[in-house]
Amino acid sequence: MLLAVAGLALAGCSKPAATAAPADVTGLRPADRRLAELYEGACKTCHVTPGSGAPQTHDHAAWAPRWKQGESVLLDHVIQGYRAMPALGQCAACAPDDFKALIRFLADKEGAPK
Amino acid sequence: MISRRSALLTGAAAVTAAGAGGVYVATREKPEPPAPASIDSNGRLLWRNWSGIQHAYPAARSAPRSEAEVAAALTSAQAPVRAVGAGHSFTGLVPTTGTLMSLDALSGVARWEGSEAVVWAGTRLGALGPALAEKGRAMPNLPDINKQSLGGAMGTGTHGTGARLKAIHGDAMALRLATVSGEIIDCDAATNADIFRAAKVSLGALGVITQVRLATSPNRRLHRRVWVEPFEETLAQAEARWAKHRNFEFYAVPFTGLAANITHDETDAPARPRAAESDDAFLGVLKQLRNLLGFSTPLRRAAARALLGSAKPEEAVDEGWKLLSTDRPVRFNEMEFHLPVDAQLPALKEVVEAIEVHRHDVFFPIEARRIAADDAWLSPFEGGPRGSIAVHAYYKDDFAFLYTLIQPILLRHGGRPHWGKLHTLRGQQLASLYPNWNSFLEVRRRLDPAGRLLNPYLSGLFEP
Repeated sequence: MLLAVAGLALAGCSKPAATAAPADVTGLRPADRRLAELYEGACKTCHVTPGSGAPQTHDHAAWAPRWKQGESVLLDHVIQGYRAMPALGQCAACAPDDFKALIRFLADKEGAPK
Repeated sequence: MISRRSALLTGAAAVTAAGAGGVYVATREKPEPPAPASIDSNGRLLWRNWSGIQHAYPAARSAPRSEAEVAAALTSAQAPVRAVGAGHSFTGLVPTTGTLMSLDALSGVARWEGSEAVVWAGTRLGALGPALAEKGRAMPNLPDINKQSLGGAMGTGTHGTGARLKAIHGDAMALRLATVSGEIIDCDAATNADIFRAAKVSLGALGVITQVRLATSPNRRLHRRVWVEPFEETLAQAEARWAKHRNFEFYAVPFTGLAANITHDETDAPARPRAAESDDAFLGVLKQLRNLLGFSTPLRRAAARALLGSAKPEEAVDEGWKLLSTDRPVRFNEMEFHLPVDAQLPALKEVVEAIEVHRHDVFFPIEARRIAADDAWLSPFEGGPRGSIAVHAYYKDDFAFLYTLIQPILLRHGGRPHWGKLHTLRGQQLASLYPNWNSFLEVRRRLDPAGRLLNPYLSGLFEP
């Protein structure tokens, strides 16, 4: 029996294929002060850490296929937790509208039609 | 965490195993566990813990921005009032139909008192490391995961490993506790000493800890070493390694006869950061070996040994907060008990044997750590050092065996449960394990006579 274990192992991960993130990603934050605090306290720990498997902040290539799924799907993934994404992004203080705004910021779609 | 051992996979491109009946394919990923609704029929937003097994629809959410707001919410918000951090506890400490309070807005280092840092309890451990490092200081020890809030980690007795290193609450020199009467109580070993010893590990059942004064240590670089060897060799060397190394832990890998060892020791050597993490890769291999070869332990063992047994050790040098505690993206459920040190290794052998006989679906390694004693009344390490044994189950897998197969072994060896991890102990069972159990309950009744902080889980825990 032949087991191509290395390939299978990676298939078992929750990580998507690695994509390059902007070089200054750690310095990005929402303009709104309260939203920036929520981002700094929750989202940032994974979404500016390339090894985390999370789509990185403003990484357009990583976010494009996710954005296509629609806001309601992305919001549900945040609330429920999805693969390595913990429920509520571990932000117990966030309301649904906060999550929507944070998703838009992460995807660099703050100007997109709502 | 063993899942970070990317180096273990070096050279593991493929393995050929002799099979009698052709290719056995069972690699389909299990579906996600059933999910509760994101919004309930009353329009309330779901709260769910990290692993997904606890959930609630709180009537109100509170995100205080000052101690006064914490106290006001404790006094008047809809009960039960439960504080939440990162939601990393597996037990039912957080779920409430009343008020869910997040301290995320009370975060950061408030001030320094000499080498001690006064830290807001909502600070996530991952943020505390760099904040202390700015002053050349560090927490003496850290747990595996860096997502937890300081308050949540203390409240559940969260710990790292090291025979001479205490759990996080063991380095608390003082704290401020907001209570349901609206009072903010300052306490330390000399002032309100009974409340201090009760509050350091208190499950959010006395009030809400707002600030903690933490002892810190110099922010030294650590030399990290990870290697795999036969499990029997690890058992033979474990006590000597706990005595020798600043931090030592190991993971018994069931169905392989192997163990992964991790040491950290202080060094002045130049930094040599750890390679980019592939946290999931090691666990991914073990899971696929389970999926493909779970029907045959000899094949599974042979394949695992071929893949992991000759792996190149991993080494790194960096500041402690960067090495001891990191992200852990693979979700799981977990049971951990803390045993008298003499019982730790015999109990671990029993646990591994039981899993290999009865639970071929288990693939997570079993973690063994050592923790120094402290004096908090509900600390698992009160009265003497303890050796911990932690058994994990992938979040999509059944974990009932933890209660039926693992807990009886750990209890028989004198174990005390981790407060944030799975166990079934209540009332008198806990009273028999903790000499100061009744003293804690007396303080609890004094500070929260109407039970505003008690959800059903805590009421059951504290029942006579």
